[in-house]
Amino acid sequence: MIDAIKLRILQGDPIIHDVRNVSLPKLFRGLPTIERVACPDDCKKCVEACPTNAIKLNPVSIDLGLCVFCPLCEEACPEKIIHFTNDYHIAAESREKLIVTKETKTISAEKASKEIKNYFGRSLKLRQISAGGCNGCELELNALSNVNFDMGRYGIEFVASPRHADGVVITGPLTRNMTKAIEICYEAVPKPKIIVLVGTCSISGGIFQNSKEIQRNFLEENKIDLFIPGCPPHPLTFINGLLDWLDRK
Amino acid sequence: MISLQVQNNQSFRLDEIPFLDKHKFTDSVAEGLTNGYRMIGLFPLHKNMPHKIISALVDSDAASLHLIGGEFQKDKLEFESLANQFPQTNYFECELAENYGFIPINHPWIRPVRKQSTVLGNKPYQFYKLEGAEVHEVAVGPIHAGIIEPGHFRFQCHGELVYHLEINLGYQHRGIESLILDASTNQRVILSESIAGDTVVGHTFAHCSTIESLAGTQISLRAQVIRSIVEELERIAMHLSGLGGVANDIGLAIVASSYGRLRTLAINSLAEISGSRFGRGLFVYGGVRYDFNDENIRQITNKLEVVKNDSAVINNFLFSSTGALTRFEHTGTVSKDFAQQIGLVGVVARSSGIESDTRIHFPYGAYRYFPVSLITLPSGDVFARARLRALEIDESLRFIFEQLENLPGGEIKINVGSIAPCSGVISIVEGWRGEIVHTAITDEVGNIVQYKIKDPSFNNWYGMNLALRETAISDFPVINKSFDLSYAGHDL
Repeated sequence: MIDAIKLRILQGDPIIHDVRNVSLPKLFRGLPTIERVACPDDCKKCVEACPTNAIKLNPVSIDLGLCVFCPLCEEACPEKIIHFTNDYHIAAESREKLIVTKETKTISAEKASKEIKNYFGRSLKLRQISAGGCNGCELELNALSNVNFDMGRYGIEFVASPRHADGVVITGPLTRNMTKAIEICYEAVPKPKIIVLVGTCSISGGIFQNSKEIQRNFLEENKIDLFIPGCPPHPLTFINGLLDWLDRK
Repeated sequence: MISLQVQNNQSFRLDEIPFLDKHKFTDSVAEGLTNGYRMIGLFPLHKNMPHKIISALVDSDAASLHLIGGEFQKDKLEFESLANQFPQTNYFECELAENYGFIPINHPWIRPVRKQSTVLGNKPYQFYKLEGAEVHEVAVGPIHAGIIEPGHFRFQCHGELVYHLEINLGYQHRGIESLILDASTNQRVILSESIAGDTVVGHTFAHCSTIESLAGTQISLRAQVIRSIVEELERIAMHLSGLGGVANDIGLAIVASSYGRLRTLAINSLAEISGSRFGRGLFVYGGVRYDFNDENIRQITNKLEVVKNDSAVINNFLFSSTGALTRFEHTGTVSKDFAQQIGLVGVVARSSGIESDTRIHFPYGAYRYFPVSLITLPSGDVFARARLRALEIDESLRFIFEQLENLPGGEIKINVGSIAPCSGVISIVEGWRGEIVHTAITDEVGNIVQYKIKDPSFNNWYGMNLALRETAISDFPVINKSFDLSYAGHDL
């Protein structure tokens, strides 16, 4: 008993009190910025370097729904106009918002409808489905419940049964072999229910977009409520995305 | 035994491999396995030419790899199964059958590897079934209770007691091996980072080593040391995560959350050097992308000092708690003899007393100059698998502290030459779970035409199948966590 108390004392105060403003390591690759500088004619080095076709030219834009946050475009650009900042606020409620242009300064999720806020604003229980996720996103979602991030303090928790859940959180590119399981699980969640896509793989297929083994029809047939980009997304991206969306302080 | 003998990361020309007819091939493989070698691969040289296959065996006493080629009649892809005599070949033969239509004659247990319900040309697969009064079947998954990857578990029980467990995987199959063949250079590195997201460093290390070996590139000592430091960081982070998981599964919340706090420090150390909490973005062909400097060394050392001091206290609490030991000891036991027969690797093998660590037996990169100590435990139960991971954390910390103090100078990245044509290479890396094997084969113009990945989970899932026999089904979670295997790494 005494030893257990000593362990508790050793824990100290590890919780991140202000999840809105955390200074992540300098190298952390979050929201990219694109400087307002004209590209040299016919230069498409960033497009060629990008492993997931996330970059479009004229004008330059980066789709965070496709981006795997490797620094290849930043390295390839001869004018050095692309730069990954350590800003982790990149979740959004619409797919279009994830496209970063020279005008983009910040990304934040629009507030959810009044109905959603009434239902889930104070208590949101989620069921996670891994559908080809490599365990990167899964580990970060697990980390949300640890003593550092402690998402439970906001009333947001992961539950075991879809019957107890208010929505599903999907990771991975949606493999063909998981198609049936995803449908059954989503069906088991009582209405109203939400869908949150976590990680580049689930949002667009990411590095697996051309794989013959993925089957993404489920996403076309259902409305997606929130997109959390990243490879994998930082736990803070997830928390802040949900807090913005649910209009919490 | 007729074979081509090579070393870890040593490239070879394809015409050096002796190709034997099917009888001589199986005889040769059987001879190697009788000598105590272990199988690490069984696959065709070229995915469009399935009739020419190679079998790779490792001899850990001599640090050598043996490649045995077999040439079959194109319309008769069958051979006498070795699995009855050498159970370790069982799953490799199933994989060869599933991917290329080979028929292993008299195979004791042809089962799906990555397809859920079919074996050998669309025949439906039937789970083993126990029959009798009071016998019941428990089906779990693919979606489990927690935030974990999908897999299906089918238990045959009598009361609490499990008589048989079958694990049906493949839900995570993304076709990585095929994608790598068609991918650009940039895409290949990202793909290898995503084979198993908890083993980013291990798999990317193995992948970069295959390409560098095929190109005849020797990376700088500094880059080698940096790669090994991050590999050990990954080992520390995931071992802490696993220990927390084991503690959580027996309801010891204070221990679970304490390990969780330390894991955050370990993965944040990875973020200091790579920008990603999992080490993504650090590996490039020819070295590493980011270098150590005074600032990040100070940050990482401070964090790891806390890990070192606090983990000692937490380990002490966990491994002297009677409640924990009652759950850990004699639970899910795998004997040494059994582990050897079915070819277990990594943490699981070392916990059963097998001396098997790629860093020591097939040394590569910085481990050739700065060795780590081999740690084994004899009991093969949940206790051994948990305790071993605690001990490995200490050894990894020692390695990192020593290396950070004496980082060799030099460039961190050099240019990689062109890839040798008609060649192959096998790279083995000791990831935190165990032996990761990547094999690359090239054609006449240096394009990669076959890429084979073996995660340690490929061997070890079979061990968990069998470890569950005659244990209580309520011990399943803690046994599962003590094995801590990858679904994505298995399913590819």
